[in-house]
Amino acid sequence: MSENDILLEVRNLKKYFPVRKGLLQRVVAEVKAVDDVSFTIRRGETLGLVGESGCGKTTTGRTILRLLEPTSGEVIFHSKRLARDGEEYREVDVASAPPEEVKALRRDMQIVFQDPFSSLNPRMTIAEIIAEPLKVQGISRGQARLDRVAELLKAVGLNADQMRRHPHEFSGGQRQRIGIARALALNPQFVVADEPVSALDASIQAQVINLLGDLQEQFGLTYLFIAHDLSVVKHISNNVAVMYLGRVVELAESDELFAHPLHPYTEALISAVPVPDPDYQVERIILTGDVPSPVRPPSGCHFHPRCRYAKEICRAEAPDFRDDGNGHFVACHFSDSLKLRALKAA
Amino acid sequence: MEHKTPLIEVKNLKTYFRTDNGVCRAVDGISFSISAEKTLGVVGESGCGKSITARSIMALVDPPGRIEEGEILFHRKGEVVDLTKLDPKGRTMRDIRGNDIAMIFQDPMTSLNPVFTIGDQIIEGILLHRKIGRSNARRQAIEMLESVAMPSPEQRVDDYPHQLSGGMRQRAMIAMALSCNPALLIADEPTTALDVTIQAQVIELMRRLQKDFKAAIMFITHDLGVIANIADDVIVMYLGEVVESGTVREIFHNSKHPYTQGLMNSLPVLTHDRGRRLVAIEGNVPSSFAVPDGCRFAPRCPHVMEVCRQRAPRLLDVGNGHRAACHLNETVALEAPV
Repeated sequence: MSENDILLEVRNLKKYFPVRKGLLQRVVAEVKAVDDVSFTIRRGETLGLVGESGCGKTTTGRTILRLLEPTSGEVIFHSKRLARDGEEYREVDVASAPPEEVKALRRDMQIVFQDPFSSLNPRMTIAEIIAEPLKVQGISRGQARLDRVAELLKAVGLNADQMRRHPHEFSGGQRQRIGIARALALNPQFVVADEPVSALDASIQAQVINLLGDLQEQFGLTYLFIAHDLSVVKHISNNVAVMYLGRVVELAESDELFAHPLHPYTEALISAVPVPDPDYQVERIILTGDVPSPVRPPSGCHFHPRCRYAKEICRAEAPDFRDDGNGHFVACHFSDSLKLRALKAA
Repeated sequence: MEHKTPLIEVKNLKTYFRTDNGVCRAVDGISFSISAEKTLGVVGESGCGKSITARSIMALVDPPGRIEEGEILFHRKGEVVDLTKLDPKGRTMRDIRGNDIAMIFQDPMTSLNPVFTIGDQIIEGILLHRKIGRSNARRQAIEMLESVAMPSPEQRVDDYPHQLSGGMRQRAMIAMALSCNPALLIADEPTTALDVTIQAQVIELMRRLQKDFKAAIMFITHDLGVIANIADDVIVMYLGEVVESGTVREIFHNSKHPYTQGLMNSLPVLTHDRGRRLVAIEGNVPSSFAVPDGCRFAPRCPHVMEVCRQRAPRLLDVGNGHRAACHLNETVALEAPV
C-alpha cells in the first residue's frame, strides 16, 4: 500500500437546499449547506471533519454517501476489492452514479450515526438489525447469515448470545457498538462516522474510540470522522478539515494543524477548548457573536464578522482555498502575514 | 474545602425515587459544603445523581422522588435554615428559591417559556421578590441583559425565546437567575448544549459575573475540561455517592480514587500526543435501581480487592482537605494518574 494510495476524492462538492415559501411553495432562497468542498482521504486513514453546529459537516458526510443528492461536484471512490483473480480496482463517481450502482456502492461505503437510540429500530432484534444490510444486498442466508452476525458482534466486543434481544435492553455504549457492527456487516472499505461518541459518557466514549481504532487496523478501514469535539478529532485523525458555514476553511495533517494553524477560526477554536488541567493557562480568544444563519451568510469570507483580523477585502471577496505547502490548505486572505497562536503545550 | 464559613452545607442527603419497579437511590448519603463566593464543581456521568442533588437543594424534586434523610443547611441573614424541613411550596422556600438560590438549566430552550418575552420572564422574578414597580423592574431587566453582554438589550428584552440563538438564550437565563442577586447560583450543565466558541463566551461571562455579583456557584457538568477551568473545589459523584472531594488541583493532580483517575485517563486531551491509546473504564454504569454491594465502583475497578465487594469504603480525609472513598487509601497509597 503506497503512501499516496487515495480512496476518496471529493471535488467541489455542493449541496444546496431550497427554501420554499407561500402557497405555491416558490423557491425564495437557497441554503448552501455544503458549498464547494474538496478534500481527499488516503486508504486506511482517518479524516476528521470538525466544526460547530450548522456548519454542514453532517450534510457533507451524507452527500458523499448519496444519502442526500448532491447539487454538483464529484465524489471519486477508488474501490479495491479482493476478487477471484487477484485485486479488482474500480473508479466510480459516487455523485453521478445511477441508482443500481449506488446500491452496489453501499457495500463499500457505510455510516455510523450519532444517536444510538434513534438509529436502531426498537422492534427489531439485534440479529435482524445487523443482518439487514446482508438481506438488502442478498448476501448469505440462514445459518451462514447468523454466523456472520455472531462474528460481527464478537468483533465489536458484544456477546453473540445477545443477538435475540432488542435495542432497549442495551446501554448507550452497547447500542453504538451495535450500530458499528451493522456498518461493518458488508465489509466496507469506507465508513462515515457521524459524531459516533458525542452522545456517550466519558468512560464509555473511550471504549468506543478505542474500538473504532482497533477495527480500522483489523479491517483496513478508512474513516471520515465527523465531530464537534476537537480533542476527540485530534486523537483519532490523520488529517483534519475545519468547516465553517458550508466551507472548509482549513485542512492539514493533524499535528501540523494544531502546531501551525493558518486560519483565524482554527486559532480561536483551538484556544476555546477546555483542557482538563487547572494549571493550564491560556489566553482565550473569545469570538464575539454567534455563527450566522446559513440562509443569509455574510458576504466575502463567511468568517469576517467574527474575525479579529478582518480587513476591507474580507468583506468583499471570498478567499480561495489554496495549498500553502505540504498539503496544508487554507482559505484566508492573510494567511501568509498573520502570526497565529498554536496549541500551547501542557 | 472546609475553609471559610460555609454558605450551604449538605449533610448525608438521601433522595430516593420509590417506583413500582423498586427504589432508585438517586442520591444516597452525600455530604459537601460550598463557601461564599466560591465555585464548587460537581462532576459525574449521567445517572450519578448530580442533577437530583441540585433539585433537592432547590426543593424541586418531582414525585415519586423524595428527600428521605439528611440536612441541607443554608446560611441566610445570620441564621441557618434546613431546607429539607421547609414545605417545598411554602412561603419561606418560595422566598429563598429564585431570590437567595437561583438555578440555570442545561437546555435554555425548554426552560424558558416560549409564549412570554424574555423581558416578561426576568421581570416576573424581580416583581416576585422585590418591592418595586413594573417600569423599574423593566429597567432592571434591561440592565441585567446588558451585564450578561446581550447585544442591543433594549430591543432584545421584548424578544421571544425562539428569536434568540442558543448562546443568547443561555445569557437570558443567566440574567434571569442573577436578577435578584442570589448568594448561590446552581448551574446544571449550562454549557453542554452550546458550541465550543459559545461555551467559551459563557464560561468567561460566568467568571466575570461571579466577581461582580459575589455569588457562590455550584457548577454541575460531565466535562472535566470545563471543571478544571471554572471550579475552586470539586466533588466527583458515582452512582449517587460522592467518591472524592477536594480542591481542583488536588483532584486533577493528586487523585486518590480509581474512578476519578479512570475518568481522566479515558479522556482524549487536546494537549496530548495523537494516537495514544485511551485507557477506558471497563463495563457500564450499573442501574441505580440495583447498586452493587460494597464499593459501588468495585465491578469496574482495576484495583478491586476482596474487601471492596463486602464493605463500602468511607469518605476519608487523605490530607489537604482532600477526601476519597476507597479501601486502597486505607492500605497502600495510590499512584497518581499519568
